[in-house]
Amino acid sequence: MAKIKTPPVIELHNLKKRFGIGDAEHFALDGMDLTIKKGEFIAIMGPSGCGKTTLLNILGLLDHSTDGEYKLDGQEVSTLGPRRQARIRSQQIGFIFQSFNLISRLSVIENVALPLTYKGVSHTKRLELASDMLRTFHLGEREYYMPYQLSGGQTQRVAIARALVNEPSIILADEPTGNLDSRSSHIIMEELSDLHKRGNTIIMVTHNPRLTSYASRVITMLDGRVDTDTMVLPQLTTTPAKRPLGTTTKKKAKRKKPAKAKKVTS
Amino acid sequence: MRFLLLNHVQNAYQSLRSNRLRSYLTMLGVTIGVASITTILALSAGASKVVSDQVDALGGNIAVIRPGASTTDPLSGLTQPKTQRDFAASTLTETDLTAVSRIAHVTQAAPLMILGGSVRADSTAPDNTPIVASTPELATISNLKVESGQFLDTRVSPDTVVIGTQLSIDVFGTEQSIGKTLTVRGKSFTVIGVLKRMNDPINYNQVDFDSALIMSLESGKLLNQGIAQIQQINIRSDSITNLDQIIIDINKQLIANHAGEHDFSVLSGEQISRPTNQLFYAIAGVTAAVAAISLLVGGIGIMNIMLVSVAERTREIGIRKALGATNSDIASQFIIESLAIGIGGGIGGYIIGYLLAFGISTFLTFDPVINWQIAVVALGVSTITGTFFGLYPAFRAARKDPIDSLREYN
Repeated sequence: MAKIKTPPVIELHNLKKRFGIGDAEHFALDGMDLTIKKGEFIAIMGPSGCGKTTLLNILGLLDHSTDGEYKLDGQEVSTLGPRRQARIRSQQIGFIFQSFNLISRLSVIENVALPLTYKGVSHTKRLELASDMLRTFHLGEREYYMPYQLSGGQTQRVAIARALVNEPSIILADEPTGNLDSRSSHIIMEELSDLHKRGNTIIMVTHNPRLTSYASRVITMLDGRVDTDTMVLPQLTTTPAKRPLGTTTKKKAKRKKPAKAKKVTS
Repeated sequence: MRFLLLNHVQNAYQSLRSNRLRSYLTMLGVTIGVASITTILALSAGASKVVSDQVDALGGNIAVIRPGASTTDPLSGLTQPKTQRDFAASTLTETDLTAVSRIAHVTQAAPLMILGGSVRADSTAPDNTPIVASTPELATISNLKVESGQFLDTRVSPDTVVIGTQLSIDVFGTEQSIGKTLTVRGKSFTVIGVLKRMNDPINYNQVDFDSALIMSLESGKLLNQGIAQIQQINIRSDSITNLDQIIIDINKQLIANHAGEHDFSVLSGEQISRPTNQLFYAIAGVTAAVAAISLLVGGIGIMNIMLVSVAERTREIGIRKALGATNSDIASQFIIESLAIGIGGGIGGYIIGYLLAFGISTFLTFDPVINWQIAVVALGVSTITGTFFGLYPAFRAARKDPIDSLREYN
């Protein structure tokens, strides 16, 4: 597959993250090794407290590892200054949160335009880009709503629009559907898998095993380490490159579920 | 960064507007401080402008000799008000006057001997009526115009006086008092002239000529056991360019007269116009202290509100950081907000300060001055307050950990 040849975007070697000191010392990440290639859609599963969110925070440069290597695009992250890291967050990484994290006193379009601010885009241009982005998520007519006027699914779509407006190469999603009903979850997941097909790298933390069907690779974590790492056959995501989200997901779901079931039982 | 500045301003505007009452109350502290500063500056500039205008009107070639070495320490003026002039014997003598008037380029020299005492005629003049003993030169040096009658000259009898319009009304009940007789310290004098109303009680002679009585120096000496108690000598030079040389000559001459003692001061131009009223200094000082305290309190108010604002928006800070805001982006967002409070309060204070100054000036004889210096001070002070007290909250906001911030409840 093309993906296998592409260079790794993210490389982790023996990554450790310690919380607390002395008796309270606890490693949320305990020697994590992981290589993520461009264009992968990774679902990270695992019990509570296994370090999924910590991993995501470190990948997103919001947190720093205690020990080990983290190379982003071949560059060791710990050597970068805070300003440079903020630049990377602004230009290469898009965050999607479980609790959406829209700023409540800003309108939908202003929320979506917010990341562009820190990229130095002018006001008019920002609103233009944000408006375009919202339209691709079918929220064009909601631009001047306030976040509290939207349903959960719409709010998360706004959040995804915001994560994408800077055209980041990596999207980090921390339980993006955790606060949504299954119908909205489905819509959100299809949006994500659509992004994946457009070539974005997506790393998603989830508790819901059914959602892993959208991913190209499923990683389960346990006690701060990778427990299992399963590649989902990737042909499904590449063959119907038109715009057939519905069909793809169904096929994917069929093939994936047994594979996953095996993993869990083993 | 250039785009961000505008963005931060919009942001600050939005967030201040969303907590309107809170923002206004916070601004109020700065407003009060700046208002009092503006009032003080406007009024004191007005007061000194009155005197400097007089000096300028006279051609600017006036110098003034006063007893006592000039102090540059403003505190001594506050702690020992009026000691030298009112209670100590003046160090200036008639010999000095003659010596000074002989110096080259000095065209005129007029002594100012101010006496206390009652002035009576049909009715008694107010207690504080200044009785000035001087020479005829005073009229030209101090630009005194006579409404009716004549000013003192060398030929008139020593028993004649010139009085101010207000004094004439006070003791005779009319402005037409030529030829009438009044009693000063039990001695009778005939009025030979009434001065034109001047309406400036603040002047470099420190005498309100509208309610003053002017007699010849000889008569003044007679009322004072034959001793001339000269509080001030006014000097006029033939041109401004010679004034500096004259001042040097006067200093030399008087030091020689006083046996090497520098117990007098020669003032010219700006120095004369510096408000010499000690009470005015005291009031200005106290008000300045109040202004400083209210600015401090206002600043602490800003800091307080900004800390609350930072705490309230912890989650927003986390989100912004996750979306790529640098620490300095966050810091400047909050600094600009506190700056907006400061400047808003400053502009309000400037306006209120002038309203206050014009209100007060209706009870005073001079008007407040509007100039750019006061505007700069008002704006500068509020800017500094806003920035200084916003620094710490902004710094705290910038240092917030994004993960902890995101975990925070909204």
